[in-house]
Parts: sequence; structure tokens; C-alpha cells
Amino acid sequence: MSAAKRVQQWATFARTWHIFDCKWQDPYQSAEVIKKYLMGLHKPIYHSMNDCGDVVVCINSREIALRGNDWRQRAYFHHTGYPGGATWTLAWEVHNKDPTMIIKKAVYKAMRGNLQRRHTMQRLLIYPGEEIPEDIIQNVSNQIRQLRLVPTRLDHISEEEVKKFPKVMDYPQDYVLK
Amino acid sequence: MSFLTRTGYSFAKNTILSTSLRSISTTKQLRLKELREHKEGSSLVVEGVTVPSPRTELLIRAVNHQENPHQCKDTCYMCALNLDVKHTDVLILSQFVRTDGCMLPRRITGLCQRQQKKIGKLVTMAQKAGLMINLTPAYCHKDPKKRYGFKKFNTYFDEKTIFMKRIPKPTDRFER
Repeated sequence: MSAAKRVQQWATFARTWHIFDCKWQDPYQSAEVIKKYLMGLHKPIYHSMNDCGDVVVCINSREIALRGNDWRQRAYFHHTGYPGGATWTLAWEVHNKDPTMIIKKAVYKAMRGNLQRRHTMQRLLIYPGEEIPEDIIQNVSNQIRQLRLVPTRLDHISEEEVKKFPKVMDYPQDYVLK
Repeated sequence: MSFLTRTGYSFAKNTILSTSLRSISTTKQLRLKELREHKEGSSLVVEGVTVPSPRTELLIRAVNHQENPHQCKDTCYMCALNLDVKHTDVLILSQFVRTDGCMLPRRITGLCQRQQKKIGKLVTMAQKAGLMINLTPAYCHKDPKKRYGFKKFNTYFDEKTIFMKRIPKPTDRFER
């Protein structure tokens, strides 16, 4: 095997580290994307018996956005195993306790339940804020594109820009400005 | 019948309680106004000043709606513009809103019923997502992350949920 081929072989089977910014992202939609990178489904060499999954680092998991009234309507079920040991915790209560739990469970649920799933989950690293340990950020070589645009708050836009923005609605003639 | 009774009632009222106030004016008194308060010595002066609208220069209208608004197929300017407005487009939505964040009524916005409902719901979505937090009453806590309970977390909305049922357009009812 030539030296070039050998390097190509290493590059093919090396684990790539991806970073994903969860700010204003739906965890259940982004889990479908994260899952592909974790399992290696985006690679042409993918095979279920082939250990070709990548590492995904999720940052800002505290800033995830759920749709509509999901924060108070989505419940997470847990059973201790004892009689009467069932609990239903609402999504916002889970997020209060552990801001990484929802995205973790979403990715776990997105994958099929087989023996590989728990090992694949080991390659998912989630951080609630923007700070990542130095030894992890130095491995990262790719960023996964966000699914949703991060919205801008009106008070973060400068007043001049708001004034200059093209207008759709004009006041009627007898309107009293306040 | 109701018209007759109303006119009769108003005529009787005018004859009995005749005041100097006239409802008909000969001059054009309807203009965009602004209330200004200032103090002259010890007395407070409140005056209504006619001002030009700050929006007329930046106003955008669809071409066919601007040329002949009465013959245009779309009844209101938002229908004619055919914009895909999302709840995150706060620069558009804030034009339909008072300084305390309330939706303006239809007689001021001049929208059709369907658009008024749609924009009103989009404004609600933007307010709930905390995107127009400076357009709120004065007593409101301005930081959305300091809200109570589940409200402090980020929420987004799906615009498809605004009109779940297909509402027939007002024009195609008697059309053949």
C-alpha cells in the first residue's frame, strides 16, 4: 500500500469531531440530524457492523427552543420499578433540573433500540453553555449547520434600523400618535 | 325601520338639547395628530399638533394595488403584497402594534378580516417568544429569561397552526 493510500485509509476511518450549536433549535428535529453524524450515516462506507460513527459536541443546550406549548405539555416518564413508582415530569421541569437532559433523550429516542445505541450515545457530548473544555474544542473540525435561524429580538436592533426599515402599514388620516 | 327611529331620536335630541357642537365641519380637520404637553409658567398646555406621517416615505405597496386599489383582486394591501410573514419578522409586526404591545384595531390597520386575524396571532406568537419585549406595558419585566416557570425558556411557533381550518375567501361565495 502506497503512502498516499495509507493516509486515505486513516482519513476514512478516523473519527471526525462535529460541533452543533443548539441555540433556538428544536431538539427533536435536530436529533434526526445529530443521529446521522453519530452513527456515521452520512458516510459512503456506512455499514451497521462498521464502527464509523463520529463525535458530536452540542453546545448551548440550555438555549433550546420547543415548539408552541411543548414546555408545559410534554411529559417525561420515569418508573422506579416499585409499585406506585411512576412519575411524569414536564419538559420545563426536566430542563430546570438538567439542561442537557432533553437533547440527550431526544437523540437517544431518535435512534433504534439495539445494542449499539448506548455506545453511540457515548460519543455525544452536551454542554449547557458555550464553554467547552480545551481538550475537546481542539479536536473539533466541523460545524453542523443549524436547522432554524436564530431570531433577533426587536430591542437588540438599533432604533435607526427600525426607523429606516420599509413600512407596510400607514396610519389613517385621523389617527392620534402616541 | 331602525334607521328611521334613530334619525327621529337624534332629531328630537337635537331640538331639546341643542348645543353649539356641530358634527359637520366645513374645513378638513382630520389629520394625523400628536398630543404635546408643555408648561408655560404654572399652567400646563396640552395641544394637538398636526404632523406628517413618518411612514409615508418608506411605505411599500404592491404595484397593482397602488394603481387601482378598487379594481384589485386582493381587498387589502397585505393580501396584495403576498408576503410570507413569520413570527420572527419583528420589524414588520411591530408596525401593527401600539407602544404597549397591543394589536391595533382593524379600523386603523386597514387590513381585511383574515389578515387582521393572522397578523394578530403572529404578534401574539412574537410576544410569547419574547421577541418584542420592548413593546410591553411599563410594569412588565423586560428580560424574557426572568419570566416565571416554563415561560423563561425559548419557544418557537409554527405558522401553519394559525389557520387550521380552511376558511373560504369572502369573494368566492357568489362567484360563478
